[in-house]
Amino acid sequence: MKKVINNLKYVYKKYSFLLEQLVSRDFKVKYKRSVLGIVWSLLYPVLMMTVMAIVFSNVFKFSTPGVSYLAYLLIGLTYFNYFSEASNLAMSSVVGNFSLINKVYIPKYIFPLSKCLFVGINFLLTLIPLYVVIIATGTGLCWQHILLPYSFICLFLFTVGMGFILSTISVFLRDMFYIYGIIITVWTYLTPIMYDIKMLNPTFAFVLKFNPLYQFINFARTIILYHNTPTLGQFAGCAVSAIIVFLLGIFIFKKKQDKFIYYV
Amino acid sequence: MENNNMIEIKDVSMKFNLGIEKGFSLKQWFVDIGKHKKKVKNEFWALKDVNINIKKGEVVGFIGSNGAGKSTLLKVVAGVMKPTKGKVNVYGNICPMIELGAGFDSQLTARENIYLNGAVMGYSKGLIDSKFDEIVEFSELKDFLDVPIQNFSSGMVARLAFSIATIVDPEILIVDEILSVGDLAFQTKSENKMMSMINGGTTVLYVSHSANSIKKLCDKVVWIEHGVVQKIGGKEVCDEYKEFMLNK
Repeated sequence: MKKVINNLKYVYKKYSFLLEQLVSRDFKVKYKRSVLGIVWSLLYPVLMMTVMAIVFSNVFKFSTPGVSYLAYLLIGLTYFNYFSEASNLAMSSVVGNFSLINKVYIPKYIFPLSKCLFVGINFLLTLIPLYVVIIATGTGLCWQHILLPYSFICLFLFTVGMGFILSTISVFLRDMFYIYGIIITVWTYLTPIMYDIKMLNPTFAFVLKFNPLYQFINFARTIILYHNTPTLGQFAGCAVSAIIVFLLGIFIFKKKQDKFIYYV
Repeated sequence: MENNNMIEIKDVSMKFNLGIEKGFSLKQWFVDIGKHKKKVKNEFWALKDVNINIKKGEVVGFIGSNGAGKSTLLKVVAGVMKPTKGKVNVYGNICPMIELGAGFDSQLTARENIYLNGAVMGYSKGLIDSKFDEIVEFSELKDFLDVPIQNFSSGMVARLAFSIATIVDPEILIVDEILSVGDLAFQTKSENKMMSMINGGTTVLYVSHSANSIKKLCDKVVWIEHGVVQKIGGKEVCDEYKEFMLNK
């Protein structure tokens, strides 16, 4: 155990600067040529929310009785967008950095990890419009908000795990880039972002509860919309799904990373 | 660290499977349906039972024809590849100059790239901070620090990369092919820098096709052919290699 901790300390000391550089590189490159720059991080989720709110509440007449549909929608979008963007970038990060991997020794996990952190900073920025909407819609605040970071951490660990798995698969099977596009679309509809899980028939709703993203989003909604403390079951649901996928990701990545170099 | 060995290469073999390198393709799968193709074993040994010990301060040249396995061996030493069999022990920090500027991002400025590339090479922030002026001065790019390097000429990029790579005195330096970067003035400057590193007691692994430049620089020569070490010795190996190539 002591050896593992010492090892982690060494890795952190040696590679934290590289990680920081990779994240800041992504930031600089992302906003380099755009006029609004970082404002886009704030604007984008709000615009998405507006479009979806118009479509789903006016055309399909979706509603969430007792709570603001706008806030309901934006919570789901914020969480899901983080997952979808980070997992996508993480997936292509190893293949995209092959020229580096092929020349210098760098621990390969640093690429998916840096992407998840980079989008994570973006995620924290999108909390600003989220709180604006929470206040503007009269949803109100409560002390339970201090529990929200728990769901952020679970979401992050889950996404890192998925990033490890996806980036490993994509090295061996480049088709994954296309396949995952479809998977994400299906996943969007299987996650109660714009609809309420209560609208579904009980069997289907039960199955959907095994979707980890539902666990995280539901955790946040319980706090933000209903001002309740999440149950022990909700705490456990988030932690279990996050940790299982995180460990699975590490296991798969670690097992296969030495073979990456042959598939350049 | 017995016997003063800096690098120990023990029974290293490296197998490439040429078949899997192409990957699985659905199109090929359909084309192959019905054809009872025997599974061809496309194995290729890039290195076979290589044993080399390199002592501290030695300048070792690697010669051999194209595809002999020289670069693969250096990649194994640098830790980029794991050998199929055998073991490599390295006692010291390595500066791989296999391809300069591999970590550059063309959209970033020279200043940003110094930090990014430095991080890729494993330098700490403090080290880059303290050596920053030295890097800029050596690369002669003071006036272009805040220009994105996509606007640089290839010579300027190479100059920047060389300056970053050689700013620390590594214990082990891996150089693939001759470093002819920049214009004539800079070439002389980079050559002098290399020579001072070599004379400063750095262990150098140097790969080249040119027997002459190896003869000039190295005191130990390893001749590799088809992944097998033909000969390890002094400068006289260069002459044998030359003779072999001429009689081929």
